[in-house]
Amino acid sequence: MQLRYPFRAGSRPALALVAVAAAAAMVGWGSGSNASGAATGGTAAAGGDILRIPYLGDMSVPDPDIFYDIEGNNVILSTYEGLVTYAPGTSHIVGDLATSWSESPNRLTYTFKLRPGVHFHDGSALTAKAVVASFKRRLAVNQAPAYMLKPVASMLTPNRLTLVIKLKHPVYPFLDYLASSWGPKVIGPAALVTHAGTDHGETYLRTHDDGTGPFELTQFARGRQYVLTRYPGYWGPKPFFKEVLISIMPDIGTQQLELQNGGIDAILHSFPAADLGSLPSNVKVDEFPSYLRLLLYVNTHKAPFDNPAVRASLRSAINIQQLVSEAYSGTGTPSTGAYPPGLLPDQPALPYAANHAKAAAGAKLASTKDITLGFTADESGVQRRVGELLQAALSAAGWHVGVKEVQLPQVYNYVNNLKAAPDLLLQTNTPDAANPDTWARIVFYSSGGLNFFGFKDPKVDHLLDTAVSAPPATATNLYKQVGDEVIKQNEIFFLGDIKNVFVLNKDLTGVEQVPAYPWTVNLADLKRTGG
Amino acid sequence: MGRLVARRLAAMIAVLLGLAVIVFILQAVIPADPVRAMVGASAPPQIVAAERHKLGYDQPLPIRFVDYMERLASGNLETSLRTRNPVASDLATFAPATLELALTAAAIAAVVGIGLGLALAAGGRIARIIRVVLISGASLPTFLTALLLIVVLYSKLHLLSASGRIDPTISAPGGPTKLLLLDSLLHGDLKAFWSAFTHILMPAFALALLPALAIGRTLATSCEQVLREDYVRTARAKGLREYRVLLKHTLRNASGPALTMSGLQFGMLLGGIVVVEQIFAWPGLGTYLDQSIAYADFPAITGTTLLLGVAYVLLNFVVDLAQAWADPRIRTV
Repeated sequence: MQLRYPFRAGSRPALALVAVAAAAAMVGWGSGSNASGAATGGTAAAGGDILRIPYLGDMSVPDPDIFYDIEGNNVILSTYEGLVTYAPGTSHIVGDLATSWSESPNRLTYTFKLRPGVHFHDGSALTAKAVVASFKRRLAVNQAPAYMLKPVASMLTPNRLTLVIKLKHPVYPFLDYLASSWGPKVIGPAALVTHAGTDHGETYLRTHDDGTGPFELTQFARGRQYVLTRYPGYWGPKPFFKEVLISIMPDIGTQQLELQNGGIDAILHSFPAADLGSLPSNVKVDEFPSYLRLLLYVNTHKAPFDNPAVRASLRSAINIQQLVSEAYSGTGTPSTGAYPPGLLPDQPALPYAANHAKAAAGAKLASTKDITLGFTADESGVQRRVGELLQAALSAAGWHVGVKEVQLPQVYNYVNNLKAAPDLLLQTNTPDAANPDTWARIVFYSSGGLNFFGFKDPKVDHLLDTAVSAPPATATNLYKQVGDEVIKQNEIFFLGDIKNVFVLNKDLTGVEQVPAYPWTVNLADLKRTGG
Repeated sequence: MGRLVARRLAAMIAVLLGLAVIVFILQAVIPADPVRAMVGASAPPQIVAAERHKLGYDQPLPIRFVDYMERLASGNLETSLRTRNPVASDLATFAPATLELALTAAAIAAVVGIGLGLALAAGGRIARIIRVVLISGASLPTFLTALLLIVVLYSKLHLLSASGRIDPTISAPGGPTKLLLLDSLLHGDLKAFWSAFTHILMPAFALALLPALAIGRTLATSCEQVLREDYVRTARAKGLREYRVLLKHTLRNASGPALTMSGLQFGMLLGGIVVVEQIFAWPGLGTYLDQSIAYADFPAITGTTLLLGVAYVLLNFVVDLAQAWADPRIRTV
């Protein structure tokens, strides 16, 4: 999954940065001001059993079979549930709508026992047939998340609460697909039957939900606000908050001021790292590991990085410890392997070591020293900062580096004209699930969606094709070999692993997070102290 | 007058046609992949290809152009790649917020601009102070004005709201105009009106400041010229008070250049809306356009551009009518 920083037009980064910096300075960000004056003209202060959080931009659609962004995960995961999920803070798969499951020895058949007493928001009961209808709908809609169910050969419902899924071939990450935030969710009959229309309920699910989650989507006012209301018939513990108001606030500076003044309860992503050290007294920071990673893609389809020796010298030019420390101010750690930490045990280490002499020697081999570094802007400004730091590091080695901001749709198109693409590209990505295949297949595979510069190594493709159907122990070894091979090629550099940083009102407790669900807290677990 | 209306209508069609062609050319030459942006970067190639075919993005450019123009001619603005809604429906959702903001800003700009212009023309110590304000204010970029307003009126004084159209806990009146100020009054909902009013003041003022200053400067210069005319001298000789001379005998005759400037400034005001809507989290066309650009959502970009084009032409049409009212000689041209 590409980290799509929501909604940046070309001219806005400078504005946002200036706005944030100026606002923070002028208001006395960190001066210990409190939220008592929050009841400003017409805006009631956050508090009580209503939770207010902002989004930087609209989510695409609240339809779990189409939604494939990051902004919006909170809505999907609060309104819908899948068969399995990840235990908080881990990549350990636990039951969600399934209480137990088994896998056949040949790994082709999965049998799920469904949780009794679960009701959809339309009031109807969860059954195995409803799960089958949901999964079939995902395949029929056939948008990006449909790939997770493509290996399914058949689905059987031997009784009301038992579901048997048979696969066409073993799929190593299949359970992780089911646990992914973009994985198959179970949708009720109100959407799939009553409001199905002629488009599998797509029109209905653009503004409604029919899941089994702890909250219902009771308002979807695009561009303005989404309202999640506690579902009284939820099978699990009753959430503390009766309502969650998600407001669209496209400027992080505005979000910061609203948080400081008590207009919102939390900022769940893109908080400028530089401002974390000077927070007002009414807010706190909770940091959690995530699988978000900062990568440097190298364009090997033109000079100078078509020369393996030249691109190998980048290992010596970049001091990733310093880079990550300066750019992320403690909210990131230098990468240690080709996979996000925790995804693959004992993965091969990265052989990067800053060495000025080697870096300069490599630059001397280059047929041209003029290179371009592209980055996609983000509201926090961190990718721009990394770009500038990289520019300085490479310039010290003898390169002449032009840094330019690019838009995501441009990045998607690079693979069609690599000669016109930048020489280097900074991107932050995350896997779809906590499984090495969901990372390697999109970043390292020759046709991978996040393989922006057309990295192609037949050996890697073959290893990945073999691994996906291999038994777990074999697969793990194969993914390690893939990592080794990718590191050797020096076409993708792994710079940093980024934490999920939540800045919240101090009275909020119960922050639970799953590394595979970026920018997302479990809203049902949140509480307000004294509430 | 009839000829004026006909000319403006013809101009509007020409402008829209030109805009439509330019937007299509931009789509064609910008090296972006809207389909990947739509389905997600990690989507498998087969799904991307299927979607590309469904949307017709795999067709040769001339065929796409003909399809595009045919659709536009029939009033079909296509479906947004991001929201999956018909673009016309999205525009209907977002445009009222922008219209309300633009109208409020235009009203503020007109009132403040005329006030400043007349005060300047009246001369005296106040005029000198205003002149300093005009010069320094004109150098403030809109986003900085917005920020200063937020810092002072929201963060420090807690007088006004900094984001959105209405407090999220208040249910917005559901129509009939979709303009919250008007609708809340029509529904007799004073709480909603007050909330909407405190939300719109800052963004509207941020948008209005530069146009107001420009209108004020132009009006002042124009008034100063008119004040030197013989008939004004006559009016003064008859013993009329200065404010009557200014309001009754000068303002209408001096308003031509100020109206022209208003047309230009209100056009620029539409351009500033994107920035102001971002800062104030205003759910209008600027926000919609900004989000659509990030997705290369060409149908949405096209629809918004055409709508803003229509607004710009209509605005200038209104200014033309106002000028014709102010100066009857124009009606016969």
